[in-house]
Amino acid sequence: MLAWGSLSKTDVIGAIIVVALLATAPFVGSRYIIGIMTVALCYAIWATSWDFMSGLTGRENFGHALFIGTGAYTAGFLNVSFGLSPWWGFPAAAIVAVLFSLLIGFPTLRLRGPYFALAMLSAAVVMQKLSIIFSETTGGQDGLNGLSPMLRSQVSAYYFTLGALVVTVTILKLIALSPWGTILRAIRGDEATCQAAGINVNFYKICALMISAAFAGFGGALYANYQLQVGPDLFDVALSINIIIMVYVGGMGSIYGPVGGALLLIGLTEGLRSFSEYRLWVYTLVLILILFFIPSGVIAPAWVRLRDWIRRSGATFARRANA
Amino acid sequence: MLDILIYGAVISAVYALLAVGFTLIFGVARILNLAHGAFYALGAYCVYTLTANLHVPLVIAAIIAVLLVALFGIAMERVLVRPLRKLPPLAVLMMTLAVGLMVEQILLLIFGSEARNVPSLVESSFDFGGVLLSGQRLLAFFCSVAILGGLWLFMQHTRLGAAILAVSQDPEGARYMGIPSDRIFSIVMGLSAAIAAAAGVLVAPFQSVIPGMGLLPLVKAFAIVIVGGLGSIPGSIVGALLLGYSETIVAFKASIEWSQIVSVAAVLIVLIVRPAGFFGKRAAF
Amino acid sequence: MLKRIAPFIAGSALIASALAMPARAEDKPILLGINTALQLQVGRDTIDGVRMAVEEINAKGGVIGRKLEVVTADEGESPKEGVAAVNKLTGDNNVNVLIGGYDSGVTLAELPHISRAQTIFLGTGSASPSIQQKVKDDYANYKYLFRVNPINSAKQAASLLDFIKGKLKGELGYSKISILGENAKWVQDMVPFLKKNATEAGLEVPLAEFFDPQTADFSPIFAKVKDSGSQYLLIILSHAASDVFVKQWYDAKVPVAIGGIDVKSQDADFFKRVGGKALSEVTTNFVLRKPITEKSIPWWDAFVQKYNRAPVYTATGAYDAVYIYAEAVARAKTTDADAVIKELEKTDFLSARGRVKFDALHEVQDGPGNVNVIYVQWQNDGERAVVWPKEVATGKMIDPPWMMKN
Repeated sequence: MLAWGSLSKTDVIGAIIVVALLATAPFVGSRYIIGIMTVALCYAIWATSWDFMSGLTGRENFGHALFIGTGAYTAGFLNVSFGLSPWWGFPAAAIVAVLFSLLIGFPTLRLRGPYFALAMLSAAVVMQKLSIIFSETTGGQDGLNGLSPMLRSQVSAYYFTLGALVVTVTILKLIALSPWGTILRAIRGDEATCQAAGINVNFYKICALMISAAFAGFGGALYANYQLQVGPDLFDVALSINIIIMVYVGGMGSIYGPVGGALLLIGLTEGLRSFSEYRLWVYTLVLILILFFIPSGVIAPAWVRLRDWIRRSGATFARRANA
Repeated sequence: MLDILIYGAVISAVYALLAVGFTLIFGVARILNLAHGAFYALGAYCVYTLTANLHVPLVIAAIIAVLLVALFGIAMERVLVRPLRKLPPLAVLMMTLAVGLMVEQILLLIFGSEARNVPSLVESSFDFGGVLLSGQRLLAFFCSVAILGGLWLFMQHTRLGAAILAVSQDPEGARYMGIPSDRIFSIVMGLSAAIAAAAGVLVAPFQSVIPGMGLLPLVKAFAIVIVGGLGSIPGSIVGALLLGYSETIVAFKASIEWSQIVSVAAVLIVLIVRPAGFFGKRAAF
Repeated sequence: MLKRIAPFIAGSALIASALAMPARAEDKPILLGINTALQLQVGRDTIDGVRMAVEEINAKGGVIGRKLEVVTADEGESPKEGVAAVNKLTGDNNVNVLIGGYDSGVTLAELPHISRAQTIFLGTGSASPSIQQKVKDDYANYKYLFRVNPINSAKQAASLLDFIKGKLKGELGYSKISILGENAKWVQDMVPFLKKNATEAGLEVPLAEFFDPQTADFSPIFAKVKDSGSQYLLIILSHAASDVFVKQWYDAKVPVAIGGIDVKSQDADFFKRVGGKALSEVTTNFVLRKPITEKSIPWWDAFVQKYNRAPVYTATGAYDAVYIYAEAVARAKTTDADAVIKELEKTDFLSARGRVKFDALHEVQDGPGNVNVIYVQWQNDGERAVVWPKEVATGKMIDPPWMMKN
């Protein structure tokens, strides 16, 4: 299933450089910056898992927060209500998120475009409302508080999150490059033809949604471990939309682009702090400019160009060296 | 019983007003306009500024507000949406989303996050066999019905209305008949914005006028339109009645806490059972 | 030419003088970090309350020879922003003390981060009892938490019960009241307590209901309350759309008077914001331009003179917090957290709200002479009158205009 051979050498080297740069952050930034970057890495996991399902199959999921929230609440319950070690939260979060993806996936996967988007959005909102109504168990508006952190030191937690991101992107990218990924992309192009060719389209779509949900739920548990609190805002429409924006800016369907999109946009919101109350206004303005002038995204297309340039100049260099 | 009937009618009328513009622009131009809630909020804030700061009489302020928001809708379509129409539909969707967020941020910057007060046009309240209804709600009900009726007359009995219907049924064919579809898109966006703004103006006196006020109506409009069928005007009116009444019944018979979940749950069920909604075209999904 | 370079000369002179100053640790200013919701009136008043106290203290030469300085961070109304704000103040600005908080949910989310940063936190807005409970459960890790303001919601519930029994039943002779609360943790703790005790006190409670804070239409609830034959509707709301609530109540001329805890209605400009439709609504408060203590009126007037508007409840809490911290530092002669906590626990400070003393949970105490909940009614032309407790009452309670008996 995994296609190690299909990774290009330039891509791998590029990825290693980025990870190395991210790994130096604790030596440069304050404790606060590390915290912000941990959150950014969680967003990167959410964005890349969104891209795996929606970017590849072309079914825009407007309720990714459903999986994030269920994952985070699972981790919260296990830790706060049952007193289990935070480490149990990770596998449990992924499993519960997958269960939810099956529950919502079967009835909705035949839907397309706005219908699928809205079905997912409503599912997330229903969960949000339920978490408020059943406040006896969920803590209502305030959510669950006082999770114990998995790692005492914030720097170790940061490296753990970074490691989780690397694993996530590697696995998702390898699946995307494998024949599986090809089928998912084919479904995006023309579902009817795929079906005619004897491909069980629904099976592939359900699997894609399950994988996407598993990583989103896992990311939710990671976030809960940083925040040490989970609340209904983790089911929010705004969170789902934020993730889509990150993927869009990063470049849809590339898996690694959304990571860049998440880091870029969180970096932007932080960098704009000096604008104080104008901050979010400037942010939306930048967003409109990007959507208008670079509608295919920023990160992935930029990397494709850079890679081509490296290869071309590498080839020229080799030719010159040979001559 | 009577109270459910009356309150349900008022809320359904306002919902229909919200949904009709949303479905109109989708039916005609295939744009899922996530800035629809922003039009609604802008309508309410325009009236607030005109009455509270510039001391314009309320009725005139309402008319100016609706016109200004219509212009804003047209400008948005012309400048930001039209150049993206050649791209996948998600591009336009994201752009309308960004415009919606932008409007909210601008309102936040200018007015802050505290709720603003828009005065009621009718201050008295009425008693219908023991059911209390404020005058402004009654006004909102009648105005909504009037606007919806006017829209129906416009679509059925004018050349422009016929052209809009033609484009929504078959854009390609309409173009061969010499209907300028680009201009129709602009006009419909303006119309849709105006109707949303009118809804905002009508409910502002009894709703919270805050920068984020557009989100809830957007979700409601979305839900109604899905239940009724995307792109169908009669469908959205039926959807509004269904949601309006089911919310009211739940609020009376169970609790208002649960009434908030009705609309989203209805959407989910309809999507699972009958994905094109009650009046949508089968081909839409 | 000279005009153009003058600012530069002035600037470099400033820098030079700054460099020439001895940079000993004792001379470094004491940093106060304010975490609050900047876009809300409660947040702006938190900051202005702090600034007012800081300017007064600095004018007298500061504390232990050091000036006070203020840094702010926006916690919005979301746990995510709140945690980021606390981490920014403690991790980036290295503040000596945190003052602020408004939303209980946000404050609860911040607690583990405050504890990890080992920074003293003086709460000035959140009311949830679970916050200070941490001090009891885990003193070593949570001794940093103090609540200067307000009285916690459990004590507010007791006070509401006193209002129901003493004012509504005792003075006005009501026998049937309904309770309506927003769906938040602290309200859910309160409502069953009120219902049970009110029933035991001989009142009928036909309706006790919760609603989602996003509720936009209250007509059904008003219809139900009216049909239940209630004489009073007790409300408990803090984040919900109070303005929509009172507007819809007023416009429909619901024949039931309302009152209780309505946090938005504690704002001085609330009456104006809803176009006067809060007339006759009663809400709890902590400070008003009434002689609650000898400091109340002078403090109120000083605030109004300085900022040109009337303060809300967070302003006095924030102002007091600065003084309480400064006095504790002065007694401890250091800003070391452990030493200051020892001194903070001995606090006895006379404020505009009453005397501030902390109990074992680092919770501001109520009771005679201490900080107490007062019941304030919006009366004609946006005038406010204290209607309960009897000892501090300044006016008679009025009915909604459509219920006035001539």
